[in-house]
Amino acid sequence: MKKTSRLLAAVAGSLLIFTACAYGEEDTGTGEEGTPDDSTEAATEGEAQQGGKVAIPIVADPTFNPWHPNAYAESNVVNRVLFSGLTKPGKDLLPSPDLAEDWETSDDELEWTFHLRDDVEWHDGEPFTAEDVAFTFNEIALDSSLGANNTSYFTEVEEVEVVDDHTVVFHMNSPVAALPAYLSFNTEIIPKHIFEGEDPWELNSFNKGEPVGTGPFKIKDYTSGQSVTLERNENYYGDEALLDEVEYRVLADVNTHVAQVLSGELSIFSLDDTSSIERIESSDGVGVYPRETTRFFWISLNQEEEKFQDKLVRQAMLHAIDREYIIDTVLQGYGTIADAGIAPALEEYYTDDVPRFDYDPDQAEALLAEAGWEKNDDGILEKDGETFEISFEIGIQGDLEPVSQLVQQYLRTAGFDVTLETMEWNTMIDQVVINRDYEMTLNWWRYPADPDLLPYMHSSTAGTGNNIPGYQNEEMDALLEAGSRESDVDARADIYAELQELMAEEQPYLFLWYPQEAQVKVDGLQGVPELAFGDALHYINEWYVEE
Amino acid sequence: MGKFLANRLGQSIVLLLIVSVITFFLINLAPGGPSSVMRMDASPEERQAMIDRLGLDDPVPVRYVQWLGDAVRGDFGTSFSTSEPVTDRVMSRIPYTLELTVFTIVFSVFFGILFGIIAAMKRGGFREYSINFISVIGLSVPGFWLGIMLILLFSVQLGWLPSSGVGPRGADFSFTGWIAHLIMPVLILSTTILPNIVRFTRSSMLEVVSQNYIRTARAKGAKESLVIYVHALRNALIPVVSIIGVLIPRLLSGAVITEAIFGWPGIGSLIIEAARGRDYPLVMGVTIFVTIVVIVCNLIVDMIYSKIDPRVKNV
Repeated sequence: MKKTSRLLAAVAGSLLIFTACAYGEEDTGTGEEGTPDDSTEAATEGEAQQGGKVAIPIVADPTFNPWHPNAYAESNVVNRVLFSGLTKPGKDLLPSPDLAEDWETSDDELEWTFHLRDDVEWHDGEPFTAEDVAFTFNEIALDSSLGANNTSYFTEVEEVEVVDDHTVVFHMNSPVAALPAYLSFNTEIIPKHIFEGEDPWELNSFNKGEPVGTGPFKIKDYTSGQSVTLERNENYYGDEALLDEVEYRVLADVNTHVAQVLSGELSIFSLDDTSSIERIESSDGVGVYPRETTRFFWISLNQEEEKFQDKLVRQAMLHAIDREYIIDTVLQGYGTIADAGIAPALEEYYTDDVPRFDYDPDQAEALLAEAGWEKNDDGILEKDGETFEISFEIGIQGDLEPVSQLVQQYLRTAGFDVTLETMEWNTMIDQVVINRDYEMTLNWWRYPADPDLLPYMHSSTAGTGNNIPGYQNEEMDALLEAGSRESDVDARADIYAELQELMAEEQPYLFLWYPQEAQVKVDGLQGVPELAFGDALHYINEWYVEE
Repeated sequence: MGKFLANRLGQSIVLLLIVSVITFFLINLAPGGPSSVMRMDASPEERQAMIDRLGLDDPVPVRYVQWLGDAVRGDFGTSFSTSEPVTDRVMSRIPYTLELTVFTIVFSVFFGILFGIIAAMKRGGFREYSINFISVIGLSVPGFWLGIMLILLFSVQLGWLPSSGVGPRGADFSFTGWIAHLIMPVLILSTTILPNIVRFTRSSMLEVVSQNYIRTARAKGAKESLVIYVHALRNALIPVVSIIGVLIPRLLSGAVITEAIFGWPGIGSLIIEAARGRDYPLVMGVTIFVTIVVIVCNLIVDMIYSKIDPRVKNV
């Protein structure tokens, strides 16, 4: 028996070593072992060079059609590389040319003319023309029976007209200053010559098979449930990509993402769960970088509930929550306190010259007293015999749960009787977002690189749209409308400065913080602009792997 | 035998019906339908268009009857998320799960029986304690945690094994790359069944070796290895075979976690994808497939059982 045990141990051991040695020969090109651990990116920046590949995690199989109703986040990061939009976010986040070289608007701002590049080819060699743009919008985005993704940005577009092969005009029902920004946000153009006459959602040979785009990379290989590999598009109209390949690995478990970037098998991604940051930062060859994003975290208080309609109560609740502490602990410092909804990433429009409601429990108590709420013998706020009870509904995702637990504790200390109800994400969407059956919830908005927040707090979107709290205020409506129509940047900045002041005062949402993205990147990957991961993907042709 | 099979077939159909009713109603009545999977800022019109397209406005019983009618004819519908036939999606993933489970069963049965025998024969010794200790650890430590730990050790620290995927297939196939990708998933999946096989083999062996015919064999001067491997093992394995059948469902549920951790594109990761995407037809397709596999496995085990133990009659 001893002999048998030893023999088995030897067999198992040698098998492991044998495969390990053999595996060691496979080089994914992403693991730059031995590169010095340096906290600054610039220190490791070298000469751009062609070759190598990057590996990016996605949590599910993608759909290679940016307009498909099932094209979720995992699809966006692939489609941004396969396809191009008329515009893309510039490195300053302002809309920058992509398929459209330039654009202008008529005096009444009801016609936007886009001049398209004439040197663009689809991956299958067909020329890209204005017909593709018109088809994408008229036949896909504006066909309400299809329910295409992202169409809520284009509700004011009446029609897209082809002027000539390289010019299109967007005819609008009313002015939308953010149109170029919207055109840079998951609204890539798809080929008319493939989709014409087909059901766009049933065309699996494209959507799940071999997509044809105009981007810097084209499809090479796709194995459902495992990976998508893209190769360089030699006929790309912009600067040819430096990388040979981009591999997307389907990895449902986010813990695996962390383990794989530490083993050098993944190159770059945005980390949602900040609890791993410390471990990644202490490892060699990989770093975590804070990146500004156009997002804000908020607490929504259902305005149908009378107790939340008094702005003094809303202001008091903000005074009661130590947001700085939450940012420092749960978010590991990856965020800045928000006073209104326009993120600092939008430098042209952001202002911090607004009323602020920093952590101050005494001030919270004073404001609540002013609103008629006093603590009873049990320490619970009470007014006219009613105690202040709040049901706090949240969906489980990322850091939402620990954040909400802290918020609950702070509000309890201030005298609010808060009951936290956590639920699965889709259940939350159903209950809170679709049916508005909630009292208080915590979440975030991510929006295109434009300050137009009309969809999130205008009266017209209360009840069924994206105005989750159901907040209604005529003064705010007027400013939101003015901002959404004004295309002159300076005049717009003035409107949004005024709006931010009003938002900060009114707190239609309780603005919590502007999160920064924790971008995880191996040191060997260079040329990635200092943008959020999703935006940096628009510049993937500039990325390179340093040897 | 014919009567036995006919009986089992009838029971299986009833079981499949019950499973399909429960699953269909549970997923369709659960809050958050396919339209809630859309991005949070999707407009009500976008959500309604999806509901219309997928025909989700009809009452659940009506849709169940429709689904059942199609399923009986072998049509499990098309996946909401990809518009591909459900059967195609399931079939494309089966080979990967089959590969993983076959390796796991072979590995677990071989080492499970071997360690079971060692534990039984070396009672009270260091080897028995070690085997028992490892079995308890294997049973009680969650697979997802152990999986991450293995990745950290073998992929991150030592750089010996790839942490995900199935490795290159087709023209780029390499034998060592294939095995390397299998080692960690098989090890993790084995923890769901191996400890049970060890424990069953051990107790079964202990029972058998205490019987008179083994004592007789020893008294006649037969070699110890002959007594153990020829006389005792055959009888000791009878209950072990039946437990392997029972462990198949556990293996399939273990595959869900294991495949998710190691990016293994099998049925397990398809289940997660289907549930996450509220892909009702796919959830149904996978459930029915898994139920059939479990039924067939149990049937095969029963038949093997009657072969190796003639006292058991399938009547």
